[in-house]
Amino acid sequence: MVSPPIPVRVENLGKIYQVRQRKGLFKSEKRSVEALKGVSLEVQPGEVFGLLGPNGAGKTTLIKILTTLLLPSSGQAWVNGFQVERQDNQVRATVGCMLMGERGLYWKLTGRENLEYFGALYHYSPKDRKRRAEEIISLLKLGEIADRTVETYSSGQKMSLAFGKALINDAPLLVLDEPTNTLDVPSASELRAIVRDLNTQGKTVIYTTHIMIEAETLCDRVAIIDHGHLLALGTVAELKASLNREAVVHVEGAISSRAEESVSALPWVQRATRTSQDGGALLTVVASGGGVNLPQLIDALTQTGALIQKITPEEPTLEDVFIAKTGRTLAVDTRA
Amino acid sequence: MRLLNISRYPGQLVMDVVTPIVFASMPILLGRASGGANAEEVFAANTGTPNYVAYMLIGTSVFTIVSFAFWHMAYWLRWEQETGTLEVLYLAPTNRIWVAAGTALYSCLRSLLAATAVYLFGSLILQVTPFQGQVGLAFLFILVGLIPLYGMTLLYGAVILKVKEANALVNLMQWGVTFLMGVFFPVAIFPPLLKFLALLFPPTWMTNGVRSALLGIGYFFGEWYLDLAVLWAFLLVAPLFGYWVFSKTETSIRRNEGVGQY
Amino acid sequence: MNLEGQNLSPSLIASLSAFWAMVRKELIIMARYPVNFVASFGQVFLIVAVFTLGGSMFYRGVEGGSSGGNPSGVVVYGFMLYMFMGDTLWAIGYNVRHEQVQGTLEQLYLSPASKFANLVSRVANILIWTGLLTITASILMASMIGDLPVENIGLGLYVMAFSLAGTFGLGFAFAALTLYIKETAQTVANFLQFGLLVLCAYFFPFSALPDFVLPISKLIPLSYTVDAFRSTMMGFPPGFPELAPIGFEVVLVTVFGLVMPYLGYVLYRRAENHARRRGSLSAY
Repeated sequence: MVSPPIPVRVENLGKIYQVRQRKGLFKSEKRSVEALKGVSLEVQPGEVFGLLGPNGAGKTTLIKILTTLLLPSSGQAWVNGFQVERQDNQVRATVGCMLMGERGLYWKLTGRENLEYFGALYHYSPKDRKRRAEEIISLLKLGEIADRTVETYSSGQKMSLAFGKALINDAPLLVLDEPTNTLDVPSASELRAIVRDLNTQGKTVIYTTHIMIEAETLCDRVAIIDHGHLLALGTVAELKASLNREAVVHVEGAISSRAEESVSALPWVQRATRTSQDGGALLTVVASGGGVNLPQLIDALTQTGALIQKITPEEPTLEDVFIAKTGRTLAVDTRA
Repeated sequence: MRLLNISRYPGQLVMDVVTPIVFASMPILLGRASGGANAEEVFAANTGTPNYVAYMLIGTSVFTIVSFAFWHMAYWLRWEQETGTLEVLYLAPTNRIWVAAGTALYSCLRSLLAATAVYLFGSLILQVTPFQGQVGLAFLFILVGLIPLYGMTLLYGAVILKVKEANALVNLMQWGVTFLMGVFFPVAIFPPLLKFLALLFPPTWMTNGVRSALLGIGYFFGEWYLDLAVLWAFLLVAPLFGYWVFSKTETSIRRNEGVGQY
Repeated sequence: MNLEGQNLSPSLIASLSAFWAMVRKELIIMARYPVNFVASFGQVFLIVAVFTLGGSMFYRGVEGGSSGGNPSGVVVYGFMLYMFMGDTLWAIGYNVRHEQVQGTLEQLYLSPASKFANLVSRVANILIWTGLLTITASILMASMIGDLPVENIGLGLYVMAFSLAGTFGLGFAFAALTLYIKETAQTVANFLQFGLLVLCAYFFPFSALPDFVLPISKLIPLSYTVDAFRSTMMGFPPGFPELAPIGFEVVLVTVFGLVMPYLGYVLYRRAENHARRRGSLSAY
């Protein structure tokens, strides 16, 4: 039995741009910008693979190479088993992309016409184009606006249509570059639910985002890219655990010193510190390695007569992971 | 600021001068080939002057001014709307009249410089004497005709804000006015209704006034001061009318879709 | 991962269907600019009227009309080729640039659709649209200037076909230039259009050109397309063709029509790959 091709395989991929920098009115200087530096990774079938990094990190460059829009300077990449430079048409036929948000739509065509046109570019028959366009319109609830020209759409509606365009060829691999940009909260949530559904149906998804909660809730594995380097790769849990940071939980309520001692005696507790505050006390519990055992903590407190008002866990986030790896926050623009 | 900006596009400035000269040479070359040895005589019989080169050059020089006026004023409004800066303009406390006046002043300066360059370089290339006849009077016709011309463009700009297909409309209007003002021929050859329509346009009076001053082809009403009086009348009426239509359209747009609606 | 549903080797019918979708898309977009649609016809009428009335000042009212050959034939047939030259040179490159700015050029490259078909679809649109405008304007011009001679239709169509093929090849080459120099291409297109307007004598006989200009005209293949086409359609009146014997001109036009499309396409693909290396397919 032939095993299915790996959706994405990247070996030592490099990309150097030549840019011109103005120096005064007439002079300019050419310089090289290395956007990708020897990146190697694999995306496994059926996973949602996150790409995280600030602006200018190299995420879009990597995606553009994988989708054949850009030619690499060094290294190789395969998408669905096809080499991106030599078998570019096969790569394009097997990938669905949403790369430039609401750009890339014909403003004088209706939403339906846009979808049918792009269906034609994937060599769908007229009948299949219409069917597929209708399916997508239904899935994304665009029925009310599908027969209006795109120039009349709001930003969010254009983004939804652009997402629909990525689904037109029902490709096994989806590449989505910040697909919830400019969407309102309910629409963004709906789109993520659709991505999850599509993944459940077997599609592999490469998903780039700035929004931590998206990466943490949606992605099976996450790659962190900065200044063209692949800094970290793993599941969200693995990446957080790699920090070797203590887990901390704050408990507020009526907590006696006896309760403090009882908690300190728990085997996984490194230290527990009680401070008085208005109306009660604050107990800060620091756990070693393995994390906080909340049920044991609650037991230890209630058995000593403590009244718990609030429990606030403090866990490392992906942003913490990023800061630890790079020394900066995700908000910093690193474009050269 | 806009003058400084355009100075950074020397290619565009060259095209501003070369294009009208090429336009003028089209009918000249065709005419010479078709008219044969009697070309000058026949031309004089049809237009009132044998100096067909100067006749055509004057036409294209005035055409340059008209073209700039339409592109800089009428199209400017649409361009601001497309780039989203029209809304910003409306949010600013500066009266829009001053903004429009600023753009018009830039356009006037640029078009006058270009038109003069067209006439001078064209005369040099096509070997005619540029300054013959009453040069001062010719210039007066141009200056007096400028304000009603820009009033017209404001009126047309209102149409463009509403209809939005700016390129097509400006091209059409530009050629429409070019046809009606008789850029390469006298409007006397028009049928009566068309002639009447042509005489409603200030550029028609500008063109004929300049030609009459420099080449002596004859004013519409026989005397220069009578033709100039008509242009003065346009000067009083056209800008006010243009601004009134523009204001009405502006209000209508603000009431409906908003000035930023692209 | 199931690749079965993906169209990895589309059939000829599927490719033709994609091609027709590209043509149809452009026609739909054009139709949705109604003012532009009407204005194009109006503008052509006005341009024709302005130039022909201007030229007629030199022979209007003279018994026997023009003494320098049939101006109707010279102008109308030259005008036909000029319309296609102007539209091709500008439209293909502008179209590509517009799609680059809009972001839809990148979309095209994300799909497996043929890039050659995409270029040809733009040609097809020009043929339809400019063809309509040209026929309308030619009828108008003929009615204004005088009787239009129509001779040697077969050879005339042959010369027109190869002239157009060569012109479209120029259009592809210009589209390549547009990918390199972006907005500056508009200025270059305008400059070229006007330069060619004079050098290729679209609206007047070559005999009207100054002596020092004629050798330059003879270096441009488009000049021979103009000369051959209108000389053929006018039935070779005395003095026509003006640049070279008709046999030579027909051969030259044929070679131009065969070589230029290929060369233009090669240049376009090269520019495309350059844009892919630079990452400028959607740059604006």
